[in-house]
Amino acid sequence: MIFPYLIHILILIGIYLILAVSLNLSLGYAGLLSLGHVALFGIGAYTSALLNINGVPFVFSFLLAGLLAGFFGFLLAFATGKLKGDYYALASLGFAFVVYSLLLNLTEITRGPLGIPGISKPQIFGWAIKDNFSYLIFLALVCFVSIFLINKIVNSGFGKLLGAMRDDETGLRILGKDTKKLKYKTMFVSGFFAGISGSLFAHYIGFIDPNTFYISELVLILTIVILGGIASLKGSITATFVVIVLSELMRFLPLPSAIIGPGRQIVYAIVLIIILMFRPRGLLGRIDLE
Amino acid sequence: MSLLLQVAINGLIAGSIYALVSSGFSLIYNTNKFMHFAHGASVAVSGYFLYGFFAIIKLNFFYSLSLTLIFSALLGLLIYRIIYLPLQNRKASNVILLIASISILILLQNLILLLFGANVKDIEFVEVKKGLEFFGAVITLTQIVILLTAVLFFIFLYFFMNKTILGKNMRAVSENKELASIVGINSRKISDFSFLIGSFLGGAAGILIAVEQNITPTMGTILMIKGFTGAVIGGISSVPAAVLGSYLLGLAENFGIVFLPSGYKDAISFVLLFLFLLFRPEGIIGGKRRTK
Repeated sequence: MIFPYLIHILILIGIYLILAVSLNLSLGYAGLLSLGHVALFGIGAYTSALLNINGVPFVFSFLLAGLLAGFFGFLLAFATGKLKGDYYALASLGFAFVVYSLLLNLTEITRGPLGIPGISKPQIFGWAIKDNFSYLIFLALVCFVSIFLINKIVNSGFGKLLGAMRDDETGLRILGKDTKKLKYKTMFVSGFFAGISGSLFAHYIGFIDPNTFYISELVLILTIVILGGIASLKGSITATFVVIVLSELMRFLPLPSAIIGPGRQIVYAIVLIIILMFRPRGLLGRIDLE
Repeated sequence: MSLLLQVAINGLIAGSIYALVSSGFSLIYNTNKFMHFAHGASVAVSGYFLYGFFAIIKLNFFYSLSLTLIFSALLGLLIYRIIYLPLQNRKASNVILLIASISILILLQNLILLLFGANVKDIEFVEVKKGLEFFGAVITLTQIVILLTAVLFFIFLYFFMNKTILGKNMRAVSENKELASIVGINSRKISDFSFLIGSFLGGAAGILIAVEQNITPTMGTILMIKGFTGAVIGGISSVPAAVLGSYLLGLAENFGIVFLPSGYKDAISFVLLFLFLLFRPEGIIGGKRRTK
């Protein structure tokens, strides 16, 4: 009884790990407060689900989900090129709203508010993933590779440039670095990983609807990344475990689900406000959120 | 002809509510120079204040109105004092204040959900009467009240900002905070008042929505986006521009759904918001370019 539940929690953690780490890449390392990240997650989920339902093998729908979300990340960075700070944040939030309303209104493709049910578990060439335990193994693999790659990126010369851009963009430009290109690349990579985590989410839960990719989900992933500490992968990983486990534990409180749902959101929001007020570098962050 | 008139009336009614939300938001933004995104949620909370006073405690309607306006204003002040002010004191950037305000939005929204449940609440203050016919277009009495109330509030706001000392000080702080403090204006106090008055206007919006339509816990988010979009369209750095932009948004939405399926109503404002932020962040009237 406990074992399947444990697997379920670990799977959720795996999915949010990739999502959180990809947000930290743009928010923490590059200093781009991308409130559109939920939309990229959603684009990945819908792309993968729709392609797969229409007969595209999982491996391709999974990769295309990442590529399309990455492409939208790039488009967002391209379109918002000259905006900074809170204006960039709001434009990216505006992007999330546009995507949300498209998911809701392009009913011939997305079925609108009804969502897409019956998304099957992946079949990877010969290997059909039927049960949650195999899914966990597959997910752990993807998770490991994703974090390995992102870790490699942030510790490379490119990662150092990102940090320099975050701390002093004008300075970096004076040195002759093309900061626009840095942003495009970052948003592509960040979007790619958000997209594949969306795909993993869709194929695990089996059902997606536009509300999963809206503002309350945004607060969840912001809480994870900011609690963990920006520009700290270890922080994001720790915080994902803490937040997902705690929010799953709330399920066991002797309260009706009509209370637990909003209760969770309230907890995320309060945690986020408290960190902003008292410890803006989060649990394991090395720099303050600015 | 009557269709066009009907669409225009609907647009102006929607615009009135957006403009009330937007004027409070813009007033707070201009005095404090950060985005109080939780403003939308405080509008929603006001609707529930009214519901609480009128439908649960069963006070008479005018006491309920006054108490709602007072409580809304105080809620705004409370948010400023408890969360924004300490953050500002530790020199938090606008980005941090924005994240904080989104968190407050989610917090308030879910508190309503927890206390009142997810179902739609209807305040049966006026029984739905048959609308008046007006050159083939229909308008209800409540809708006329909304149009007039909004205009009345804007006239008061105009006189307040231009003719009273407090209003003039407030404009001085939004023009140049340092200069204002040199001539002895206490900008902390002005910030307090901006939150009181801005949230008071939000309270008025909440009341009108509660009376004309019905209230839902999550309406704050969408109202905030509409008010913010209106402000961005008109020009966020001026309250009258934000008001004008909101009326334009109301009209654009309602004329838009003549051609598009009605589900696209919200999408119209999302797209306008995104396009304006990208291509004309200073708005239609706004002069100063502020993209940083």
